[in-house]
Amino acid sequence: MKTFLRIVAGLIVLGLVAVAAIAFLPIRKTPPNDQLAANYEVPAGQGEYTMRLADCAACHTAEGGEPFAGGRAIESPFGTIWSTNITPDPDVGIGGYTLDEFRAVLNDGVRRDGTHLYPAMPYDNYRKLSEQDIRVLYGFFMNEVEPVASEGETTKLDFPFDQRWGIRVWDWAALSAPGFTPRYDDPVLDRGAYLVETLGHCGACHTPRNAIFAQAATTGEDATFLTGGAIGGWSAPDLRGPNSAPQTWSAEQLKAYLASGRNDRSAVTGEMSLVIAHSMQYASEDDLDAIVAYLRHIGGGGGDGTQPEPDADAEATTELLASADPAMELGPRLYLDNCNACHFTDGRGADGVFPELDGNSLVNASQTAGVIDVILNGSRLPSTQSRPADLAMPDFGHRLSDEEVAALATFVRSAWSNEAGAVTADDVARRRGNAGRPQDPRS
Amino acid sequence: MSTSAFKTTRRQLLQSAAAGAALSAITHPAWAQSAPAVPLDEYEPTYFSAQEWAFILAATARLIPSEGDGPGAIEARVPVFIDLQLAGDFGIAADWYMDGPHDPAAPAQLGYQSPLNPAEVYRAAIAELDDWCSEEHGAPFAELEAETQNAVLTALENGELTLSSTQGASFFGLLLQNTKEGYFADPKYGGNHGMAAWVHIGFPGARASFLEWVGIERAYPLGPVSIAGERA
Repeated sequence: MKTFLRIVAGLIVLGLVAVAAIAFLPIRKTPPNDQLAANYEVPAGQGEYTMRLADCAACHTAEGGEPFAGGRAIESPFGTIWSTNITPDPDVGIGGYTLDEFRAVLNDGVRRDGTHLYPAMPYDNYRKLSEQDIRVLYGFFMNEVEPVASEGETTKLDFPFDQRWGIRVWDWAALSAPGFTPRYDDPVLDRGAYLVETLGHCGACHTPRNAIFAQAATTGEDATFLTGGAIGGWSAPDLRGPNSAPQTWSAEQLKAYLASGRNDRSAVTGEMSLVIAHSMQYASEDDLDAIVAYLRHIGGGGGDGTQPEPDADAEATTELLASADPAMELGPRLYLDNCNACHFTDGRGADGVFPELDGNSLVNASQTAGVIDVILNGSRLPSTQSRPADLAMPDFGHRLSDEEVAALATFVRSAWSNEAGAVTADDVARRRGNAGRPQDPRS
Repeated sequence: MSTSAFKTTRRQLLQSAAAGAALSAITHPAWAQSAPAVPLDEYEPTYFSAQEWAFILAATARLIPSEGDGPGAIEARVPVFIDLQLAGDFGIAADWYMDGPHDPAAPAQLGYQSPLNPAEVYRAAIAELDDWCSEEHGAPFAELEAETQNAVLTALENGELTLSSTQGASFFGLLLQNTKEGYFADPKYGGNHGMAAWVHIGFPGARASFLEWVGIERAYPLGPVSIAGERA
């Protein structure tokens, strides 16, 4: 018995030492992955361009707030994480950061004072940034951003998530190897891979999370990469599967969607609106082509954008709606009363204006919050350089009860060729008053 | 501490946190069904006095009588519509040009000529008309027989009976126009109760899409829908 207790005590001490070692040993920061020339100068405009593709503003600029002064709430399963001030203010911003300290933030998620960042900051993606892009971003934030002295809300998560040393343990288990390695022997595909996997950090939302809530894969070589994730209760759709939008659309359709938030099949909503508004609309033709080529490559080549002919199920739905039969159930009746004027009886909307609902990834998503939120709150397209019209869908939350929204969503999810599951009034009640994050992509 | 043990613990923590987040996301629904309308005889007017309200009930009931083949102004709650309109921007002519000159002889295309706003016109006209009815017929308008009420309104419409208190505004024109509006406007404005007027004439309401029915020579089968989403 004595021996047993001694062994148990010994194990406990060992465990504590191990945790202490992980938590309190000096952090080893990722070194620069490239030596730039001593006289390297950031090309004019490159800083802002790189910042846009990295989409720093989507999180670090609050709606109506000063650029990069933080204060935007990021909802996570562990509580609200507030984005921080990354203006060059020396006290509350990052004005005092050296290049090495700045690199540690991007590569290792470690602040100047050694505090670990919550992985809402996509350092798992940014740790593959090229040294040149780190220099370019550093130059931009130090020289081209106005310092703002306002300190926003501080993130305060509940125990145990307020124990930031725990993130170090998490980092140790979760993070992938630093540095980006070209692998395609094709400069376009390699540029696309770098933009999607690293700078654009698409995988942060579009890749599933594993048991410890880490991104399950960080490169296109892994088959789970970009097969869909979740954000704010919404599904971030699969981008690789044979039925996914990027793999059924043509290259031109995918490019138009990224550049303008719309094409002749769909229209952006939710968090992706911010990505279009703050980031993708500014991408160069070459970079858009690279992203499109890479996404199509990892999905098996991509589609040609031709719409499948409606099958018998699809035609049955269209005929039911066109009949305006008073005996129809509540779901299709509500569709006629509320949706049909824009999305039409065949659920195919209008090119560049009203998205198709037949086959729509948001409508058919496993997480139903997206389709419920859009019905309740409406949606507004971002105004982009190539398509300035910020077309909007009105909100229907004031005119439909929870039961009606559920009946409508259930109908749309099973209409035409859609085959997604039912939505309940309880599902709708949980989303009421939850306006979601991206209310106005124009800001 | 093995990696697998660590992951299990972490997963449980994550799950409990996620469950907590989901629970806290349950909020009180913002949507609530509108209360059923109070009966017309218990309705408390926002703008009209009790005597004016009695006049409006009686006069609109003569313009669209309940004895016709559809709902009357009373069933459609037209008086509620007029009361709410006069209590709002329409009553105070909020977006009308109301400065002078006011010339009652001006051609119609020069617009409204009375210095009184619609709410003031109703107030002045009802008082003058009730006085006139009391002198001529021994009782205010609301208490007269339907035949007599019809005769008074007809005289007003024909110009055989003129009201000086409205200072050039046509009270009968205003009353008839507002009664029609209250009969056919969306129920959100207080009239057209239950979309009764729309059902009566076969208007399908605010659905705004009948693309598939263009060229089909058959009545559209679905009943109307209102802006608030009511179905009839």
